[in-house]
Amino acid sequence: MRLRGAILLMTFATVLAFTGSATAVEPVKPLIVGMELAYPPFEMTDKAGKPSGVSVEIATELAKSLGRPVVIQNTAFDGLIPALKTGKVDLVISSMTATAERAKSIDFSDPYLSTGLCLLLKKDSSAKNITDLDKAEVKIAVKKGTTGHIYATTRLKKAQILVLDKESAAVLEVSQGKADAFIYDQMSTYQNWQRNKATTKVILEPFQRESWAVGIRKGNETLKNSVNAFIKEFRAKGGFDQLGDRYLKEMKDEFKRLGYPFFL
Amino acid sequence: MQLEFCGLSKQFGVHQALRDVTQTVPEFQTLAIIGPSGGGKTTLLRLIAGLEIPEKGHLRINGQRLEVDEVELLAHRRTVGTVFQAYNLFPHLTALENVLLPLVKVHGLSEREALDTAEALFERFQLAGHAQRRPAELSGGQQQRVAIVRAIAIKPRFLLFDEPTSALDPEMTAEVLDFIVELRGEGRDLIIVTHNMGFAREVSDHCLFVADGEVQESGHSSELFRNPRNPLLVNFLAKVLRY
Amino acid sequence: MKHLLINIDGQPVAVAARIVSWFLVALLAAAMFSFAFSQLQYGWEWSAIWQYRQKFLQGWMMTVIISAAALVASLVIGLLTALARRSSFLPLRYAALLYVETIRGTPLLVQILILFYVVANAFGVENRYVVGIMTLSLFAGAYLAEMIRSGIESIRDSQLESARAIGLTRVQTYRYIIFPQVARQLIPPLTGQFASIIKDSSLLSIIAVSEFTLNAQEVNAFTYSTLESYLPLAVGYLLLTLPISLISRTLERRFHFAT
Repeated sequence: MRLRGAILLMTFATVLAFTGSATAVEPVKPLIVGMELAYPPFEMTDKAGKPSGVSVEIATELAKSLGRPVVIQNTAFDGLIPALKTGKVDLVISSMTATAERAKSIDFSDPYLSTGLCLLLKKDSSAKNITDLDKAEVKIAVKKGTTGHIYATTRLKKAQILVLDKESAAVLEVSQGKADAFIYDQMSTYQNWQRNKATTKVILEPFQRESWAVGIRKGNETLKNSVNAFIKEFRAKGGFDQLGDRYLKEMKDEFKRLGYPFFL
Repeated sequence: MQLEFCGLSKQFGVHQALRDVTQTVPEFQTLAIIGPSGGGKTTLLRLIAGLEIPEKGHLRINGQRLEVDEVELLAHRRTVGTVFQAYNLFPHLTALENVLLPLVKVHGLSEREALDTAEALFERFQLAGHAQRRPAELSGGQQQRVAIVRAIAIKPRFLLFDEPTSALDPEMTAEVLDFIVELRGEGRDLIIVTHNMGFAREVSDHCLFVADGEVQESGHSSELFRNPRNPLLVNFLAKVLRY
Repeated sequence: MKHLLINIDGQPVAVAARIVSWFLVALLAAAMFSFAFSQLQYGWEWSAIWQYRQKFLQGWMMTVIISAAALVASLVIGLLTALARRSSFLPLRYAALLYVETIRGTPLLVQILILFYVVANAFGVENRYVVGIMTLSLFAGAYLAEMIRSGIESIRDSQLESARAIGLTRVQTYRYIIFPQVARQLIPPLTGQFASIIKDSSLLSIIAVSEFTLNAQEVNAFTYSTLESYLPLAVGYLLLTLPISLISRTLERRFHFAT
C-alpha cells in the first residue's frame, strides 16, 4: 500500500516537474532594432558607449510592450533597409523618413514625427531658398541614402551633388566653404548651425515636409499592427512629449520662439 | 712604359694599405706585381688605374704626374684598360653590347665604327660565337676574355689586370693567360697583379714584390725569382712555390 | 588523377589537364556561391540597377582616369624620392626619409582626410579630384620609392666599379647600367602597385569623389539592391586588375634572364 502510494507520488512529481520545466525552458526572442548611432539626440551613444537617445527610448518602450528584451543594432544608415530585408534586424527606428520609394522595399508604421528638409548654408552664400541653389557652379552636400540625397539627385538638375558618408563630413564641407549647402532634416540642421555659428547660416523653413516612421519587413502584418498600436498608446500617454522635453527642450523652445511647429 | 711612385700613402679606415711608397720602376713592357693578400698590391694597381686617390704623395706614368682631381682622373681612366678578377661585364647586356658601350658612349665612336671594331676583335680572339650571349651564359674564361676585349677595344695606352685568373679553374686560367701572352706579343704595355708565380716569372720583364704596404723588392723578373734578396720575399716564394 | 599534378616526371602539363583543372575549380566556386546565396533568401532585382548603368559606367571611367594619373605621378615621385634617399646632401636625404616613413606608417584613409580637409584647405586647393589624385600619388610614391631604392642598391658594387673603370660618368652609369636593370626588376612590383592604386582609389569616395565605388553605393542607396549593386562593382575592378597581372606575367617572362 505504502509503496504504491510512494510510486504514484513520485510519478506525479516527475510529470509536474517536466511540464513545469518545459514551459520555463523556452526563451523569449529579443527584438532587434536597427539604427545608426550617429544622430544626436535621437540615435547616439552615451559616455560609456551604450546606445542612448530618443529612438533608443522608443525602441525600449516598444519592446517592453511586446514583452521582449531589446537589442540595438548599430548599422550605417544606408545599410538599414538591406539589414531589414535580410532579417538581420526586426525593426528600423532610425529617424527614417517614410517615402513611396522606400515603401516598395519595406513597410512603414504610422508616422511618429513630422519634420522637413532644410538647408545649412555656408557663411557667404546668397541663396534664399532651394531654387536659388540649383545652379551649375553650386555644390550641394548630402548624406548618402537620405531623403536629402534623393531630393538633390532627382530635383536639382544643374547643381553638383557631393555625396558623403557621414553627417559630420557634410557639415565640415559647408563650414569650410567647399560646399554651398547641406540638405538635411530640420532638427539636425538647427543643431549643426548652433555648433558652427561662425562659419554657417541656416534656412529653417522646410522646403519639403517629411514624417518619420518605424521600418518593418514586408509581410509582417502582426508586428506592424503591434507597432501602430504602441505608437497610438504612447502618444496618448504623453510619452512622446516627455521625450521631447527630456532631449529636445532647447530646440523646442527655440522653435517656439522662431514660430516653427514642433511635432514629436 | 715607366713608373715612378713618390711617397704614396693610402689608408682605408684604420688599415694602412700603402705606407709612403717611393720607387722608380725602370722601362718595362710587362710588369708583374706580386705579394701576400692585404699587402697593398691591389691598392697600388688601383692607384695607377685612377680608381683611388692617395692621401699623400703622387705617381708618375712615363714621367707625367697623375693629377688627383676627379676630372683628370676620369680622363685618365678613359685611356686605360682595367680588367678585374670577376664581374667585369654588365649582366643585362650581351657580350657585344658590353664592348660597344664604352666605344660609343665614352669614346664617341659612331655605331658603325664601334660595331666594326668590336666584331673584328671578337673574330680575332675566337669569341665571335659568343657575341650575342649574355654574361650568365658564358663560362668564367669566356667572360674574362670578353672583358679583356672590352679593355683593348678602346685602344688604351696600357692595360691593367687585377688577378685576372684567380676566380677561374685551371683550364680557363690557361685560356686567359694565353690571351695575355698574345697581347704582350703585340707589344702592348701590361701591368698584372697575380698569384700565379709561374706566369709572373715567365711573362713579365720587371716585377714588384709588395708586402706590408711597401715595395719590398723590385727587379728584373728573372733575377728576382732566382735570387730573391728581401727576407719577406724569400719567405713568400718558399710558401707559394712549395707545391 | 595523376595527370592533374604539375611537373610529374618533369614533363610539362598537358593543355587538357589545365582546362579540366580550371573547370573543376570554377565549378567548386560556383557551387559555393550558389549555396551561400540560396541560404540568403534574397529577392534578386536586376532591373533596378540596369536603369542606373550610366552611373556605373561613369564611375568606372573616373576610376580609370584617377588610377592612370596617379600611376604616372607616383612613378615620378617614387623615382625622385629614391634618388633623394641616396643623396649626399643630408637635409634632402632626411626629408625623403621622413616622407616615406610617414606615408608608409599611416592608413590611406587617414591621409585622404587630412590632406583634403586640413592641408588642401590650408593652401586653398579646392578641387577634390586633384587632391584625391595627389593623395593617391603620394601614397603609392612612397612605396615605389623604396622598391626603386632597393633595386638600385641591389646592383652589385662591382658593376659600379666596372662602370668607373671604363670611364662612364655618374649620370651615364645611372642611365646605361643601373636604370635598365632596375626597370626590369621593377616590373612585377610596379604592376602590383598599379593594381593597388586601382583598388585604393575606392577610398576616395570618402571625400565625395565620384568614382566607381561611390557610384555603386549611391545606386544601392536608391534601389536597396545591395548585392545587385556590389557584385558588378567587384567585377568592374577585376576587369581592370586581371589584365594588369596578365601583362605583368608576360613582361616578366620576356625580360627574365639570369644575373
